[in-house]
This record gives sequence, structure tokens and C-alpha cells, in this order.
Amino acid sequence: MTGLVMQLNEFQERFKNLMLDDPKALDDPPGDLAAFCAEGDIPLPKRLSVYRNNIVGSLTDLMVATFPVTDKLVGRGFLELMARSFILKNPPEQGCLSLYGEGFAEFVEGFELAKSLPYLPDVARFELALNKAYYAADDAALRAENLAELPPEELGDLKLALRDNVHLVRSRYPLTAIRDFCMAEVQDGTLNIGQGGEMLMVYRSNLEGASVILQADEYLMLEHLGQGEALGAAVESVLNEHESFDFQGFLQKHLSLETFKALAANA
Amino acid sequence: MRLMVKPINQYESFPPASIPDESVGIGLRAPHYQEVLETDLNLGWIEVHPENYFGGGAHRHFLSEVRKTYNLSLHAVGLSLGSDAPVSEEHLRRFKELIDIYQPFNVSDHASWSASGNAHLNDLLPLPYTQESLDKLARNVERAQEVFGRKMLIENPSTYLAFKGNEMHEDAFMNRLAEMTGCGILLDLNNIYVQAHNHGYDAWAYVETIEPRHVGEMHLAGHIEQDAGDGVILVDTHSRPVKGDVWDLYAHAVGKIGVVPTLIEWDNDIPDLATLAGEAEKARKILSSLRKQGSYASHHNQIPDQVRDDGVSNAAK
Repeated sequence: MTGLVMQLNEFQERFKNLMLDDPKALDDPPGDLAAFCAEGDIPLPKRLSVYRNNIVGSLTDLMVATFPVTDKLVGRGFLELMARSFILKNPPEQGCLSLYGEGFAEFVEGFELAKSLPYLPDVARFELALNKAYYAADDAALRAENLAELPPEELGDLKLALRDNVHLVRSRYPLTAIRDFCMAEVQDGTLNIGQGGEMLMVYRSNLEGASVILQADEYLMLEHLGQGEALGAAVESVLNEHESFDFQGFLQKHLSLETFKALAANA
Repeated sequence: MRLMVKPINQYESFPPASIPDESVGIGLRAPHYQEVLETDLNLGWIEVHPENYFGGGAHRHFLSEVRKTYNLSLHAVGLSLGSDAPVSEEHLRRFKELIDIYQPFNVSDHASWSASGNAHLNDLLPLPYTQESLDKLARNVERAQEVFGRKMLIENPSTYLAFKGNEMHEDAFMNRLAEMTGCGILLDLNNIYVQAHNHGYDAWAYVETIEPRHVGEMHLAGHIEQDAGDGVILVDTHSRPVKGDVWDLYAHAVGKIGVVPTLIEWDNDIPDLATLAGEAEKARKILSSLRKQGSYASHHNQIPDQVRDDGVSNAAK
């Protein structure tokens, strides 16, 4: 009766593998696991399927909530099909699920049945960025008066970090137009997805995920700053590619959007 | 002077909290945030899952607002204390940050596991009730209590699966965990009812086996019945009103154990707030009626001398 004894790590590993296996595997669980479990009046597959449904069902619901535009584009049944397949291959890695779904855009890219919708991975990427913006930590924003206090000669060496809720997304497709079209009360008319791409800053505004379409030069500037480049070097890089880049205008706009993290004096 | 960017903590801490044992609270979920702030529903306290507040933004904003009016309990679902592996230090750190800010009167999680290897299955999974499970769960509970600098409550889970290799029953397992670690027991009467049905055990005997002095909170929730072969399996969905039998079990538990803060949980098919508050009102009426009959057991020797009709202790005012 080896079935009566199973070390905790062995049991947990077997049980986890079964939960992430094809659903049919529940009908005929591995012999040693089955021998370890009590059954009674209720058959073992029914007992196991309660856990399976809890795990996959709640993660599927979570993904439906995270990807409302994708939901509108492909329909609930298809999104759930993709989500279930994603969940079994990419279960959560931590007990906080707010950001669960990372990697879904790449998964959709490789999902055979979604190949006819080439814009779908970028839509998923956009929705993940909105979700990250929504849950990002509350960090303080840089204010114009903070910058004004700095000696002008130090500005060039200053490193401006993007706030935790700020994410850059670019696509060959008009992501915000797709979102606005899908989330409207009625979808009448058609949307030309060939109308051109977008460069976006996704951020949090009034506690909600939001986005703003950027010009190529300001997108590039934010990319450089996001990579930790000093202000002077970043401006120089952008000017190399976009000689009409208006740094003052850029700075004013992003101070008012609260794009940058507050500075803290470090003596 | 060199300038650099560093995060600024914008949260102010609240003062430490305690609540009267007679208080009945509700689990707060996002659809009710605004209404809870705008409505006076005579709620004793609020419980939330800390994992929903690890980030910032809307959830933190509302939690901070709610905490201005209500005392909080932080009831975790993500520590996976029953895992073979040590508890996640990162999860403990983020949880501790919330404890320091919101000063909950209770901090809890479950006698279950979720994580194995790199996968964190988002459910409260069953443990074999063996000495090995007890030792590993106790190790993780002790570590959590060390990080938090305070006692935790550990909740008995709903289970759909039991094991031939069990060396003790769940009620004894819970008592021993409390004795080994100094943690308290969060007694969920619906979970006891569900697991008793699913494994052919006596829910009333379970309640009588639990050591009253360990119990620090009680939970109530609704379950559903699912056909399963020739029988019926009860599933703890938190999607329905509390069943009559579970109310009876609650009254029995209060009679045997004494009165402790009670929570109504409702997480799926979430009803309007008034319905949820109505469930809390039922619990208050049961406590009030037991009090009038003089059938409270003495719990923690802290039962107040007088209790108003609404169940709020005079001693705690």
C-alpha cells in the first residue's frame, strides 16, 4: 500500500501537474496520486474537477476582465479558449494576481487560430500596459517648481525617471482607435485598421488606465529617459533624428501629464 | 549636491485598532467601494484580501478612505503557508507594508497551499493532515508571525479531497497548529459544514473539538450543491446567502466557543450592498438572541457586561 505514503513535496508536485494537464487527465488520475486520495461516495474525478474549475475558471474570469477590447474583437468564447490554453502553459508565479497575463501578447502571436487577426497581439500588449498603469505603485510626480530649484548647469546631467504607471507602446495599428471603436456602446460602421500606427504613452489618470498619442520625437525622448539616459544626452540623441524636436514644449506637456518621478535631494 | 530619483512614500499610517468581539463585518470587494463610503449600514468592520492592495491606484485609494471609517482585517489568500517550500519573503514584505500602514486588528491566511515549484495555483488546495504537513505549515506560520511581529489567525479551509494517509483529523490538526505556533484559529463555519459533508464527518463534533481559546474570528458564507456521481458535493462558492444549517452551526459554535468578531463573505455573483449588510444583520440578531438567553460561553474572559440590542458592546464604546 505505497499509496498511503507520499511526501508533501511529491504530492504537491503531482497535484499541480494534474491541475495543469489536459482536462481529460482528471478522469484517470495517475495511480499513485489516486491511491493517496480518499474517495467515498463522491468519485475522485468529481472531487479533482472542483479544484480544476476553481483554478482555471477564476483565472479565465480575471483575463476576461483584463482584456475587454480583445473580448469585443474576438468574442467571449474565443477569448476564453485562448485564455485557458495560456493559463495551462503560463500559470501564475506569485500569490498576487493583479498583473497576471504578462506574456499573453506573445502567446496570441503564436496562437494558430488567431493568425488572421495580426493586430491582436498589439491590442493585448496595449491592454496589459493599461492594467499595469492601473495597478502601479503610487509614486510622487515631478513638479515644475522642483525643476526650477535646480542650478541650470546641472540640468544636462539630470536623470528623469518615468513614473511606475508610465508605459510606452507602439504599433503598426491604430490601437486607441480600435479601443474606442470596440468600447463604444454600439459598433456601427467600420474601422480602417490600415489607417496607420500609433505611438502611445499609457499612464494612470484619475485612478484609471489612460493613453495619449505621442509624436515620434517625444516617444523617442521618453524611451531614452526610460532607459536611464541623462537629460542632455537624451535631447542630443533625439535631435540627431528629429532636428525640429521642441524640448521646452515636451517638458511642459509631460510635467502637466505628471510623467516623471519626483526628485529627492541626495546630499 | 547630486540629485537622484527615489520613491516617496505617500501613505500615512493609521493608529492601531481593536474591535469589540460582538462586531459583525463584511468582506469588501471592488463593486461596493463607493457605496460603502457613502452609506451608513451599521457595519462593524471590513475585511479585505491584502493581495488586491499590493499595488497603488484605485484600490489603495479606496482602502485608505474606508480605513478612515472602519477597522480592518487583512485576510490573505496568497501566502501558500502549507507549501512544502518556505513562504515567499517578497509576499511577506508586501503584506507587512500594508499591516504597518493600515494597522488591521486581525491578520490571517489559510491552512492550505497554492504554490508548488514555479506555479502558484490560485486556489486554497488541500493538505494531507500528517505530521510532515503540520511541521511545514507551522514553520511558515512562524516565519510570517516573525516578519509581521504579531500573531496571525489561520483559517480552516473548504476541502473537496481527503487523503488515506491522514494521520489526524482537520480539527485536531488546527488545534495542534495553534499550540505549536501560538497562532489563532479563524473558524469558518461554512468551510466546516462543506468539508464535513464532502468527507462524511460531523460538523458539530468538529466545532466541539476546537479549543475555544484559540479562536479569534469566525467566517460565514454561502455554498452550492453540485451533483457528483451518486452523491452531492458541496462547493464553497461564496456566491449565495449563508445556508440555514450553517447559521445553526454558527449559533452552536458561539455557544461552545464564545463570541468573536464575525465576517460575512460574498465574493462571486456579488449582491447589492444592502443584501450583504442584511446577512450581517442576521448574525447580529443571532448574537443578540444568544446573549439574551445567556448562552454565550465566556470567551477570552472578555465578554462585556452589557451589550446593546444592535450587538455593539457598551464596554468598547
